[in-house]
Amino acid sequence: MSKPYTLNELLIITCAKEIEDYQNVILGVGLPTTAGALAKALFAPHATLMMESGIIDFEPLVPLHHIADAHSCRGFSYATDLFTAFTMTYRGFVDVCFLGVGQIDKFGNLNTTCIGDYDHPQLRLPGSGGAADFISYAKKTVLTLRGGQFVEKLDYFTSPGYLDGGDSRDRSGLFPQGSGPSMLLTTKGVFRFDDQTKEMYLAQIHPGVRLEDVRKQIPWELKVSPELTVTSRPTDAEIDFVRRFAPAESLGREAATELAIAHAVDRAQARGKNGKD
Amino acid sequence: MAHPNDNKVMSAKEAVARFVQDGDALIIGNYTVGTCAELVFEICRQGRKHFTLYSQSGILDVDVLINAGCVDRLVTTYVMRSGGKKGGGAVERALQAGTLAMEDYTNFNYNARLMAGMHGFTFMPVLEGVMATDLFRKRGFMGDDKYRVIPCPYTGKQVLTVPAANPDVCIVHVQRADRHGNAQYWGAMGSVAAAALCSKRIIVSCEELVEHDVIQSSPHFTIIPAFRVDAVVQIPWGAHPTEVLGYYNQDSFFYGLFRQANTTADGAQAWMDEWVYGCPDREAYRDRYAARFGTGMMDKLRAKAFYSAPANYGAAFTSVWDETGRNRLLGLTLEEIEQKMAERGLLHE
Repeated sequence: MSKPYTLNELLIITCAKEIEDYQNVILGVGLPTTAGALAKALFAPHATLMMESGIIDFEPLVPLHHIADAHSCRGFSYATDLFTAFTMTYRGFVDVCFLGVGQIDKFGNLNTTCIGDYDHPQLRLPGSGGAADFISYAKKTVLTLRGGQFVEKLDYFTSPGYLDGGDSRDRSGLFPQGSGPSMLLTTKGVFRFDDQTKEMYLAQIHPGVRLEDVRKQIPWELKVSPELTVTSRPTDAEIDFVRRFAPAESLGREAATELAIAHAVDRAQARGKNGKD
Repeated sequence: MAHPNDNKVMSAKEAVARFVQDGDALIIGNYTVGTCAELVFEICRQGRKHFTLYSQSGILDVDVLINAGCVDRLVTTYVMRSGGKKGGGAVERALQAGTLAMEDYTNFNYNARLMAGMHGFTFMPVLEGVMATDLFRKRGFMGDDKYRVIPCPYTGKQVLTVPAANPDVCIVHVQRADRHGNAQYWGAMGSVAAAALCSKRIIVSCEELVEHDVIQSSPHFTIIPAFRVDAVVQIPWGAHPTEVLGYYNQDSFFYGLFRQANTTADGAQAWMDEWVYGCPDREAYRDRYAARFGTGMMDKLRAKAFYSAPANYGAAFTSVWDETGRNRLLGLTLEEIEQKMAERGLLHE
């Protein structure tokens, strides 16, 4: 039996397994950057990791703060610009990209723009950033959903998944044939997209999660793979890597922020400051 | 596609044999200086035929390839002429003999074809002044597809466009590269990066093969990333008699000999026999040069040092753990963090 793991570690490690050796990988903000570092360190040593700001072929040494983080590595191989990073994707040189999800529908179309009315939103999310461009042209896209939601209809259609399902994405003529989201990772399981209908189905369920917990989040009748598997348990090497590389991510944002603030206050007080605003 | 971290280092002979084929659209990556002379010579030695040759500005490189009979069609903006009015050159001779078809562009409009190809666009709007000229009116082998005119969707104005160029193979000489193919070039940027990046295959020759560390600490000099490159060939003096910034100046004396010889077909043939076909590789070429003219001639051309100021790519730290083994953000050791995870019920068995 390997050592106990946190949910975030399981997610990062599951995500990392979508990267194969020798692939060109665009890393998005958050969880994927650590997944990329893990993949590069443990099973895809020849992968070329890229940031859309134009930082190409870097070896992450600390977790990325954002997608223009040259401080996370010790140099890199090619300094280009954002325009070229995207046209590189447009031309088919990007194998995998990772995107976070605000809302998602059953065909893997995404909203990262707003919840509610566009002009008077309940939540104004960040917007497309590179998302709509990357999911359009990367050979495959890995989606991660932690705080987001499954919806029948997106409040705003930011990024194209499989459009209306079936062959509608390929038929549109707008995208490379066969491109699109390959999986959706949530805190409950892994979803994939049916070859024919392109509707998402549950392919893996995380250890200890019940099927009804998954269904509860989904407003349509969720299809479940007849070969539903349980997400494989991380190995000690994988857990150790993530915990050493990004302990704050292992802990999760909430716990890490709380501990970081406590530590900052302690330090300030030790120097005779009160550590308050 | 080429693998990014494979060792792509090989000889010019192997690179040309593997990646340059008869009938290819071949593009010379270099512009006016530091041309990929030895790769050009090797292509001649291997007797490749029927190229559509792209060159922003033809110097010795274009003339040598045409002298060798490698080229059927030429897309360019400018070709050097040897010996003034009473001189000539390979392009002129081939046009007179009817063995070469040509398409003339301006520098910008040619470069725009590469930029479109590099970025994956099918065409590019360009500078429309040429619409008043024969550059626009006179169509060669490209016919209607040399230039097309479309209305601007925003202003309605007539916009001149050129089609994207995506040549089969680019040959390009740079100052340094690593074995993975990251190619670093500085000086006159010209259209060098676009010529390489618009192409399907890329052969890089370099003055120096350097460790990956050198590349990693100076990524702003990289113009071609490793994952695009098929072959890396280390060729010191690989651009001679043209010049490479930081390595050597133009060999005006030897270049002059070529120009003089190139004014006639016989002269050009004799020069090719001696310096291209008569030398199996660049080392043999340098040996012959030294035997004919002495080693001092080339030595005098070697660049003196004028280094660029180093740029600091460093960060405050390269680990989330401080010198005492505590996490910089949380102030805790790994064991303490694991304890917090357990206390908070975050761990799953």
